[in-house]
Amino acid sequence: MSYFLQLVVSGIVVGSIYALSALGFVLIYKSSRVLNIAHGQIIASGAFITYSLTVWMGIPLVLSFALGLCITFFLAMSVERIFLRRLIGEPIISVIMVTIGLMSILDGIIYLTPFGTENFSFPPFLPTTPLVFSGVSVSWTQLVGVALTAAMIGGLSWFFRRSTMGIAMRAVADDQMAAMSIGISIPKVFGLAWALAGMSAAAAGALIGNITGLNFDTLHAFGITVFPVVILGGLDSILGAVVAGIIMGLIQQFAAGYLDGSWGLSSTGEIMPYLILLVILLFKPHGLFGIHEIERV
Amino acid sequence: MATNRWLATGNFFSSYREEQRIFFTALDRSALLASLCLLVLWPLLVTIDGKYMLVIDTILVAVVAVLGLNLVTGFAGLISIGHAAFVGIGAYTVASFARLLGENHVVLTHAWPLLILLGGLVGAAFGALVGLPAMRLKHLYLAIATLSFQMIFQWVINFMDFFNQGQTISVGRVVWPGGTVTRGQHYLFWYYVILTVIVVLAFAVRNLLRTRYGRCLIAVRDNDRAADAMGMHPGLTKVYAFALAGFFAGVAGGLQAYLYRGVGIESFTLHHSINYLAMAIVGGLGTLHGAFWGPAAIKALDLLVEGFSAWVGEMLTISGNLATAFKPLSFGLVIVLFLMFEPRGIANWWRIARSYVKQWPFRY
Repeated sequence: MSYFLQLVVSGIVVGSIYALSALGFVLIYKSSRVLNIAHGQIIASGAFITYSLTVWMGIPLVLSFALGLCITFFLAMSVERIFLRRLIGEPIISVIMVTIGLMSILDGIIYLTPFGTENFSFPPFLPTTPLVFSGVSVSWTQLVGVALTAAMIGGLSWFFRRSTMGIAMRAVADDQMAAMSIGISIPKVFGLAWALAGMSAAAAGALIGNITGLNFDTLHAFGITVFPVVILGGLDSILGAVVAGIIMGLIQQFAAGYLDGSWGLSSTGEIMPYLILLVILLFKPHGLFGIHEIERV
Repeated sequence: MATNRWLATGNFFSSYREEQRIFFTALDRSALLASLCLLVLWPLLVTIDGKYMLVIDTILVAVVAVLGLNLVTGFAGLISIGHAAFVGIGAYTVASFARLLGENHVVLTHAWPLLILLGGLVGAAFGALVGLPAMRLKHLYLAIATLSFQMIFQWVINFMDFFNQGQTISVGRVVWPGGTVTRGQHYLFWYYVILTVIVVLAFAVRNLLRTRYGRCLIAVRDNDRAADAMGMHPGLTKVYAFALAGFFAGVAGGLQAYLYRGVGIESFTLHHSINYLAMAIVGGLGTLHGAFWGPAAIKALDLLVEGFSAWVGEMLTISGNLATAFKPLSFGLVIVLFLMFEPRGIANWWRIARSYVKQWPFRY
C-alpha cells in the first residue's frame, strides 16, 4: 500500500510539471494555432538560464528563478517576433517545419554551452531530509515544486479570467476576425502567448532541474512527452492540459513501478505516453476536454 | 493551401496527352540520358578515395528515402516526423535475417535484392499502419502520430534482445554474378546498385504522378473536400501515400544496411527524421528533382560544418567536438531560412535558372 502511495506522490509531482509545461504548449496552440515542436528546448533553456544565474553568477535561487522566468519571457517573445510573425497565414506545414528548425537551432545553441553534454544539479536550498507521512516520503523540493506549479496555474487562470489582456487573448482564441474587429492587436496577443508559454516552460524546466538534476537529454525527452499530454487533454484546453498532465504523470509512475521488471520489460514509463497517444488519436482525437472541431476526411 | 503554390504559373498545354508526357521536350530527354551516362561512367574514368565514395553512396541512399518523404509530405501534404523509423524498419528487416540465420548466410549474401525489396514491403506495411489514423485526422494530429511512431520504434529496438538492443548487427558481404564483392569494390558496387534503384524509383514516381493515383495525392493536398466531392477517397489516399513513403524508406533502409554492413539504432533516431525533413524542404517539397538537390545540399553542408568546426576548434583550442553543436545549429538555420525566404527550395532555383537560359536573350 505504501508503495502504491509513494507512486501516487511521485506521479503527482511529475504530473504537475507535465501540466505546467503542457500549459505553455496549449497557450501557443490556442491563440495562434502553432504546434510548437521546440517546446522541450524552451523548457531546457529556461532551466539552464536559471542554473547559470544561480550558480555561476551567485544570485539567490528565488531571485534567479524569477529572473529566469523574465528572460525566457522575452526570449520566447523574440522567437515569435523573429521567426513566426512572418509566417502568419502560411500553410500549416511551413509553420510546423519552422518550429522543427527552431528546435534544431536551440539544440545547437545548447550544445555550445556546457549544458549540452554535462550534468548539473542545483545546490540544495531546502532541507534535504524528506517528510515522511505513514511510510510515504515526500521531499521538500517536490512539495515546493507542486505548490509552485499550483500557484503558476492559479495565476495564469486568474490572468485569463480577470485581466483585460487575458480576456483579449481568449477572444483571439475564440474568433480571430471578431477579435480584430473590436480592436484587439493580434500580433501582440501572439507575442504575449509565446512569452507566457516561455515563462511557464522555464518554470517547469527549473522545477525539473531542482527535482531530478539538469540533463539535456532528460529535458529534451520531457519536451516531447508534452505531446501525449496535450493530445490526451485536448490541444486547446488549458484545464485539459492540467488534468492530462497529472494523469500522464501517474500512468508513467505506475508503469515504471509495476510493469518494469516483470516479463523482462524496462523503461516502460518512457513509452507508455506514446502508446496512449496512439490509442487516443485513433479513438478520441479531440482528447478529454478539447473542442470537437476535428474534420473527418 | 488554397492555391497550388508549388506549380509555376503559365500552363500552356493544349491537350491532356501533352500534359502527361514524361519528358516535356526532346532536350529534356537527351539531357537526362547524357547525365545518366555521366553518372554511370565517371567512376570508371576517375578513381576516388573510398571515404568520398561512401559519402556519395550515403547521399544516394538519402535520395531514395527523400523520394518517399517527398511523396508523402510534398505531394500529399502530410507531415511525417517519423521517416527515419521507416528507414529503420527496412534496415531491421535485413538485420533480422542476419540475426536469425547468421550474417553470412546464403540468403543474405545471394538473395539481397529480394531482401531489399522485402524491406520495402515491410516498410510499406508499417507505413499503412501508421497512416491509418489519417482516415480520421488532419495534418497536425498526423504529425504527432508519426512522431509517436518514431518514439515507439526507438523504444522497441532498444528494448528487444532480438535486435541486439540497438547495438550494431552486422550484415555480411554480398555475392553477385562476378563473385563476392570485396572490400575494394564495396562502395563502387553499391554505388551502381543504388543508382539503379534510384533511376527505377524516380521513373516510378514520375510515372505515378501522371496517373490518377498520383494526381489523387496532389488533389487531396490542395483541397481534400474538393477531392472528396470529385469522387476520390481522401482518407484512403492518405493511407496509401504513407504506404508508398514507407516502401521507399524501407528500400533505403535495406540499401543502407548492406552499404554500412551493419544496422544500429543510432542511424534511425528522431534527429535523422528531422534530417530527412530538412533534405526534403531544402530540395523543394513537391518536386521530383528536389529529392536529388536536398540530400546533396544537406550532406555538403554537413561536411562543410564538420570542417568548419574542426577549424574553429583548432583556432580556439577547444578540446570538445564543436560539430555536435554546429550541426544542429546549421540545420535549423537552413530549414528556417529556406522556409522564410525560399519555401520552394533549391528546385525553384533550378527552375529559375532553366527559364533564364531558355528565354535568353529575350527576357520579356
